[in-house]
Amino acid sequence: MPFLHAAWTVKHKPKSTVEIIGNPSAIKTLCDWLQSWNKGIPKKRAAFLYGPPGVGKTVSVEVLAHDLGMELVEKNASDYRTEDAIKRFAGLASQYASLFGGKRIILLDELDGLMGNADKGGVKAIINIIKTARSPVVLIANNAYDPRFRTLRSYCLLIDFKKPNSSSIAKRLHHICTREGILADEDALKFLAQRSGGDVRSAVIDLQALAQGKKNLTYNDVSWLAYRDRQESIFNVLKMIIYGRTSYGAKQAVNMTDVDIDMLFEWIYENVPEHFTDPHDLVQAMDALSMADVYRGKIRASQDWSFTRYVIDYMSAGVAMARQNSKVQGWIPFKFPSRIMMLSRSKAQRALRKSIGLKIRRKCHISAARASAEVMPYLRIIFKNDVHNAAGIAKWLDLDEEMIEYIVGNKAKAGQITAFLH
Amino acid sequence: MLHRKEYRVLSFEMWAEKYRPKQLEDMVDQKTIVERLTSFVKARNVPHCIFAGPPGTGKTTAALCLARDLYGEGYREHLMELNASDERGINVVRETIKTFARSRSIGEIPFKILILDEADNMTSDAQQALRRTMERYTETCRFIMCANYSGKIIEPIQSRCAPFRFAFLPRVEHDNYIKHIAKCENVQLLPDGLEAIFEVSGGDLRRGINTLQGAASTNKPVDAKLVYSVTGKASPSDVQKMLITAISGDFSGARKQLRDMLQKYGVAGVDVIRQIHKEIFKAEIPELLKMKLLTITGEIDYRLVEGSDEEVQLSALLARLVEAGYEMKKLS
Repeated sequence: MPFLHAAWTVKHKPKSTVEIIGNPSAIKTLCDWLQSWNKGIPKKRAAFLYGPPGVGKTVSVEVLAHDLGMELVEKNASDYRTEDAIKRFAGLASQYASLFGGKRIILLDELDGLMGNADKGGVKAIINIIKTARSPVVLIANNAYDPRFRTLRSYCLLIDFKKPNSSSIAKRLHHICTREGILADEDALKFLAQRSGGDVRSAVIDLQALAQGKKNLTYNDVSWLAYRDRQESIFNVLKMIIYGRTSYGAKQAVNMTDVDIDMLFEWIYENVPEHFTDPHDLVQAMDALSMADVYRGKIRASQDWSFTRYVIDYMSAGVAMARQNSKVQGWIPFKFPSRIMMLSRSKAQRALRKSIGLKIRRKCHISAARASAEVMPYLRIIFKNDVHNAAGIAKWLDLDEEMIEYIVGNKAKAGQITAFLH
Repeated sequence: MLHRKEYRVLSFEMWAEKYRPKQLEDMVDQKTIVERLTSFVKARNVPHCIFAGPPGTGKTTAALCLARDLYGEGYREHLMELNASDERGINVVRETIKTFARSRSIGEIPFKILILDEADNMTSDAQQALRRTMERYTETCRFIMCANYSGKIIEPIQSRCAPFRFAFLPRVEHDNYIKHIAKCENVQLLPDGLEAIFEVSGGDLRRGINTLQGAASTNKPVDAKLVYSVTGKASPSDVQKMLITAISGDFSGARKQLRDMLQKYGVAGVDVIRQIHKEIFKAEIPELLKMKLLTITGEIDYRLVEGSDEEVQLSALLARLVEAGYEMKKLS
């Protein structure tokens, strides 16, 4: 069964202004302006908050509304913003107060999305709202200096939100970890904070993807993120593949990332099970990955890289088209390929295994790989049962103490065996 | 005391090696092959050869015996053993193999022997490069390529080699060999124990001997129960447990178990699928579903050989089992 989780960006949303990272003066300006409405309508009836994504623009408005006891009425990119839709909304703004007697804040979020035919006349309608507003109107966009907003700007109090520094983001991440009962390395959090580039939201999303369900978070757990594509995060690519509706779209997603094909394969392979809940869909998706792997095998055997296109077809379009009945409830985070983590953790062990395999090969005329797969299990049994016999075989194979311990899996027993050797 | 200990310690080795035939005439089976190889020794000439057949049927042994019969006890100096799964790249062909192949042999036989084990694991590039080397240095070096599937060796090489097909040992030969070892090593081997060894080894003599040695190390009489417990431990897999996890609907859990088997315990993918195949037959599921799963197992076994990642292939099979479990729940 898949585990459903609440997004940490929601769960750990700041509840008061002190919890918001950075931008104290911007928040103060906004607060003062909102309070000035108590003394009558100010000169600027709208505030225009702008700044890069994930720095706390929306959350500042939400928190202040709560603190000042104001009702928040919100429209964002998911709503249509044709002139008509906004005019209907404008009615609310022209009234003095909400039903409960308190003031209202009219919030128009994600204005950057305002464009094209669907939002035709939108800017003009917004200006009309502002002109007649009897409640504070707050506009939010990434870039207030977009030419489309030129006329709009003169009606607004412009408030600039800047990227918070990474050490305060790290502090916030630490706070979240504490609340989630996760013991996190300072290095790991610093790394996450730095690579977020000031985007607190993405840092929290990354943190959840990596740390959820764990007791500890180490630098090793996060350092692989350095490989992550800078332009289009792997999570977006995964979303486009695993939830792709067209085979073409899913295939295109592969081109959007710098992650190499094998690594992307691992990401998809790791995340397919929890996102394909219907057993028939799961079969189709896994079958597509199996076919992709068959072509990888062909490439390896023939060194003919032209087969790569089929690997891509199967792992992207093949997986996307597997979705027939699976419905996803809630937010399931994408997870880092655990296989890769396991591989890097067991590196030393595998090296030891290989060297034992090579020792066996010298005597038994089989490859090191088959030696460790076929002979080692029997060695383990013999070593466990018969110390004396084990010592003889260890000598014959020229195994050292570390190897003996690996085979027998028990330090005390390994000691007994080596005692026989000296 | 110390001396005795030392002496006893030195006398141990893996029985599969201790009882590996030393000369062609010691070989218990593959009679027609042995006859032809013996005739090569008599003629003091050996063509390039392909030894094809399943594991544990005596391919490497035959090659080593041939060399020993040909060169005598100092055969090691005229022989090179390479394993393509360990060194499969083209560089091995370019460097190691070429250097060995072109240097002249000292002694009465003008050529050396190169045994290339698991040759079907070579990339086709490396095989192409090998083809020229084989031709050019025929005077100084003869190749014996051992492979499970001769089909994976490229045509031009096949056409340059004398093919030999090794089959699994017949039951009688297998049993005689195991009994012989048991007698020499003072192991009390019971009839049902012998039966069980054949059942788990499936005619793979190396596996059979290893199983015997593992069971004997308990110092108990070797019966069927002991053999099964030893082989169960040899693949701590617990394939059955994994299948139950899958059929109950927990794909991720089953995949985790599979991963542990492959990565932590180093169980070979082919062994896992072999056991899955067995378990499906035994399982209490509707006959029609059983047939469906067996068909898929065959398909995945094929992909396992063709593909590059055992876990990916086997987990595709696990997904099928999850689906089967789901269908069964719907039926009941």
